Amino acid sequence: MYMPKSPTPTIQDLLPLTAPVFHILLALADEERHGYGIMQDVAWQTNDKLQLGPGTLYGCLKRMLAAGLVEESDERPDPAIDDERRRYYRMTALGRRVARAEAERLAGAVTAARSRKLFAGGKA
Amino acid sequence: MRWLSRIYRVLLYTYPREFRLEYGGEMERLFRDRCGDVARANDPLKTIHFVLQSATDWITTSVRERAAVVSIARKAAPRGFVSEWAVTILMYLFATTTLVQAYVIPTGSMEGTIRVGDHMLVDRTAYAKPGALGRYVMPYRDVKRGDIVAFLYPEDTRQTFVKRVIGLPGDRIRMVDKQVIRNGRALVEPYTQHVDPSIDRYRDDFPVSPEVFTTRRGQDMFEHHVANDEVTVPPDTLFVLGDNRDNSADSRYWGFVPREYVVGKPLIVYWSYDAPTADLTEWHVAHVVDVMEHFFTKTRWERMFLVPRSKEAQ
Repeated sequence: MYMPKSPTPTIQDLLPLTAPVFHILLALADEERHGYGIMQDVAWQTNDKLQLGPGTLYGCLKRMLAAGLVEESDERPDPAIDDERRRYYRMTALGRRVARAEAERLAGAVTAARSRKLFAGGKA
Repeated sequence: MRWLSRIYRVLLYTYPREFRLEYGGEMERLFRDRCGDVARANDPLKTIHFVLQSATDWITTSVRERAAVVSIARKAAPRGFVSEWAVTILMYLFATTTLVQAYVIPTGSMEGTIRVGDHMLVDRTAYAKPGALGRYVMPYRDVKRGDIVAFLYPEDTRQTFVKRVIGLPGDRIRMVDKQVIRNGRALVEPYTQHVDPSIDRYRDDFPVSPEVFTTRRGQDMFEHHVANDEVTVPPDTLFVLGDNRDNSADSRYWGFVPREYVVGKPLIVYWSYDAPTADLTEWHVAHVVDVMEHFFTKTRWERMFLVPRSKEAQ
């Protein structure tokens, strides 16, 4: 992921996203999750092809926090069953726009691939 | 899997201080959760995959986070580079030399439990004397009866031996017809193997006939620590025996192992290769050729990633 030099990066500055960053955003699209929850969801999204290790996950989260794509959540979604000390993350409005822009960018790339007969499946 | 978490906690120190303070706890928790998943899956292939993946994750991200710190620090003070990297490099060296050590089993004295040609990783932190600093970093535990330990051979400290702890300081040990009796009670030792049905007075009725070729340390044991046909283990030493009881050069022959000679605890067999003892202690061209030719047929795949279990004898 591009690290912004100016304090107010435009969405295009942040694209393209790396695979871990994009999948972390997807994991946070519907709900807040803690680190282990993100890791599990990313594994599910990718059929276990992308297993985020602790260093990769928290390194990405650090950069995403700095870029304003995610923020730490104050509330604990389920304090009864969850460990009090776990940190939960949620997607910001900027994060949602960036994820959408990245999805559009990828869709464009897929369309181009299809027009060159490199890819046949998954018609939208 | 607890030893993995313990190692991971130490490896976290390769990350820059700020990053570790901010995320270290969470990373450790995530790692432990993953360990739990993998342990539940109980699939050796998945375990290998997980370990390799974690190692890759650690190396790449610790370097990346360090580099991020360095690139910021460089602008402020260009000379921060060496001091920033020194810690990381020292930690890599520390991890490979202090935490674990690769070791090959050259003799058959533990046959039945550990075989000739087993290449093992030894956890050097397990029984380390807790130093002032180490006490806070890692949970040490003391050697227990029934533990398998790796130690420096007291008669020649260039060699490392692996045997089972039978006696702790203060224990009284004797053997009657191959049966070990500790503090007056006969041990049940399901892990032992007997290959010779005949009774050798010295070997099997220890320590009643100290006439054979004992070493200096063996003689010292017979002269100072035998009373009422029993050996009493002196302070800060261990009495060890091989599981291949009839064919093992152990404390019966060369005396006690000083506590500080204990190197660690055998963790896992990472490769087991069927080769004669001489080839394993000294690598030479013929052995390398042999390994290349017969890697797939002579590797004992069923022993891969085997964890030798410590068993408390009853």
